[in-house]
Amino acid sequence: MASIARTEQLGVGRWATRFTRPDALTGYGLISPAVFLMLVLLAYPFMLAVYISLSDRILGEPGKFILFGNFLKLFQDTFFRQTVWNSFIYTITTVSLKLTLGLILALLLNQDFSHRNLVRGALLLPWIVPTSLSVLTWLWMFDSLFSVINYIFMGLGIFSKKIPWLGDPFWAMVSVIIVNTWRGLPFFAVSILAGLMAIPRELYEAAETDGAGELRQFWHITLPLLQPVIAVVVLFSTIWTFADFQIVYILTHGGPLNATQIFATMAYDVALVAGRIGEGAAISLFLFPALLVVIILMLRYLRRD
Amino acid sequence: MERRVKKSGYPHEGRGISRRKFIAMTAGATAALSFGTFLRSGLGAANLKMLSWSNTLKAMDDLLRELGKEYTKAKGVGLSFEFIHMNDLPAKTAAAVESGAGPDIVNLWSDGPHLYAKALADVGDVCEGLGKELKGWTDIAKDIATVGKTWRAVPWGIIPIALTYREDWLKEVGYSTFPNTWDELLAASKKLKDKGHPVGFALGRAIGDANQFHYPLLWAFGGAECKKDGKTVAINSPETAKAVDYRRKLHQDGETDDVYAWDDAANNRAFLASAVSITVNAASIYWAAKTSAPQLRGVTNHALFPVGPAGRFGYSTALSLGVFRFSKNQKEAKAFIRWLMEPKQYSAWIGIGEGMMAGLLNYYEDDPVWKKDPKLETVREIPKYVRMPGYPAPPSRPAAEAMVKYVIVNMFARACKGMSTAETIKIAESELKEIYGKA
Repeated sequence: MASIARTEQLGVGRWATRFTRPDALTGYGLISPAVFLMLVLLAYPFMLAVYISLSDRILGEPGKFILFGNFLKLFQDTFFRQTVWNSFIYTITTVSLKLTLGLILALLLNQDFSHRNLVRGALLLPWIVPTSLSVLTWLWMFDSLFSVINYIFMGLGIFSKKIPWLGDPFWAMVSVIIVNTWRGLPFFAVSILAGLMAIPRELYEAAETDGAGELRQFWHITLPLLQPVIAVVVLFSTIWTFADFQIVYILTHGGPLNATQIFATMAYDVALVAGRIGEGAAISLFLFPALLVVIILMLRYLRRD
Repeated sequence: MERRVKKSGYPHEGRGISRRKFIAMTAGATAALSFGTFLRSGLGAANLKMLSWSNTLKAMDDLLRELGKEYTKAKGVGLSFEFIHMNDLPAKTAAAVESGAGPDIVNLWSDGPHLYAKALADVGDVCEGLGKELKGWTDIAKDIATVGKTWRAVPWGIIPIALTYREDWLKEVGYSTFPNTWDELLAASKKLKDKGHPVGFALGRAIGDANQFHYPLLWAFGGAECKKDGKTVAINSPETAKAVDYRRKLHQDGETDDVYAWDDAANNRAFLASAVSITVNAASIYWAAKTSAPQLRGVTNHALFPVGPAGRFGYSTALSLGVFRFSKNQKEAKAFIRWLMEPKQYSAWIGIGEGMMAGLLNYYEDDPVWKKDPKLETVREIPKYVRMPGYPAPPSRPAAEAMVKYVIVNMFARACKGMSTAETIKIAESELKEIYGKA
């Protein structure tokens, strides 16, 4: 009894000295490079962007602090409203496509077939090739004059006339969605595949003994156990897609008629070409509060699980 | 026990270089490199850095490098050039302006001297000296490079934009010379399209071609985005309506539908593939034909923009050379620019360009380059008709923003897609009011 009390007393004392003990100091020393890098490479640029977004700063001129002036103005801006609309369509469509197709692909890849590892490796290619290069190839495939896609499909008699891939507001959005889905699919498929492989076989065997069919097994075992993986993958992909720049910039540059203008491309035009960096920063940070809430909710949900 | 841990924990140990060795090597290399930089910066005369677009015609950049070497030899001032893609220039320039560090001399595009005015040194002495020596500057040169009354950059030249056309096909439909007015162009386009040779003027996100065609069209009919004060939006006018109606008709009667998808390179490809008969471009199609479609070289020619009710107009990208205020070598930078603009160097440079660049000093209107090839003769006249977006006001930040947002191009594009004239102008007006309202 007495010894327990002593330990507790000591415990409090230890708690106080915990942060100043020599080995704790070594610990600080060891994590300090990482903290330093985080501060310099992440925290500083981010805080600077927030600061700039709250000012009416123009390239090369100091500008003054206007609090939420930029954000309020953006609400009024028809051009920006279209950008918000486009960004949501782009993100929601591509993420759902990538999720559905990724799940199907992962289920297929989880089957036994010859050269399975080779196929799994090859699947990663779109993800590995530098985006700007692969998108340039897509640009050629969508070319108004030399589109190989139109050529093949018209040759097969599937299209009766050529599709204006990048020339029509609707088709331009379809084009960037196709390319984004193509590029992001491997990330979904491979992550979900990893999740699938981690599901213990016994569960399926037990379900089979109980007479559950393939569909019910999928619904009651596979899907619930994949949930954490899917949550993480969707979260990441949503953030990346909202911040996407390369695909749209190279394929359509936001056109035609601003039909594919999204946050990053508009921010680039406004901040770097027209020189309104305050407004440009506001555009790129516009969704930050909403995304932050989503991230916090997602992470809480994951931790609960 | 210990050995086992070592073996399994560090599988790479023993192979290749050890960590300690690696650290020592990298540290050594870093020290050596920084010492080298230190030596170079501390020794000798100034070392000028110039940031420029990488010219579509590589020979022009090569010559610039040669000239730089020559200059170093003569004056003892070191020169290094960085050539980057034109689309990367804004970001790189912005970074230099914001951080107060970077090149000494920067190649600015059309409205650059106005956008970055506060970060640029006054180069009035260079410009006035050159003007006195070489028959003065064209009016547009002053619009481009002076802000208030101060020269913020030295106009380097323009990339003359002409209508590139197929002589043989025009002859086929009865034209021995290029149509002189917009109305005649419409009639000719219709005949050309009927023969299977449509015209094509970019209506997509071609920052160069699309704007270079549609601003002059608007001006030729008497329309303008704003008044002379540079503040009052003036797009909603009967003149603009006429230009819009005209553009719709031109599209329906004589143009290919591909134009909505065109970027700056697409019309070059289409022309070289004999898919269009008339397009808007620099002379680059003409000299690209040399290698990729030699059979077209003989039948390709250039024409000035047609005349409209308000006259003849053009918009060509202008290039100018600015000296950053943060540069410690301003004096040397100005001296180099001055030297570069002198006839011996400048003539050699535009000479190699075959119509890619035209000077804005009156002296260069008679440069020998224009006599080299009769097909480039019209190109020589272009600087006279050039105006900048924002006209009749001088270039400005709102005008630049309206251009990167394709307000004018999209106004025409919506009409071509079928929107009513009044409606599309109204959209453009509200967009312009938003943009000009911020200034």
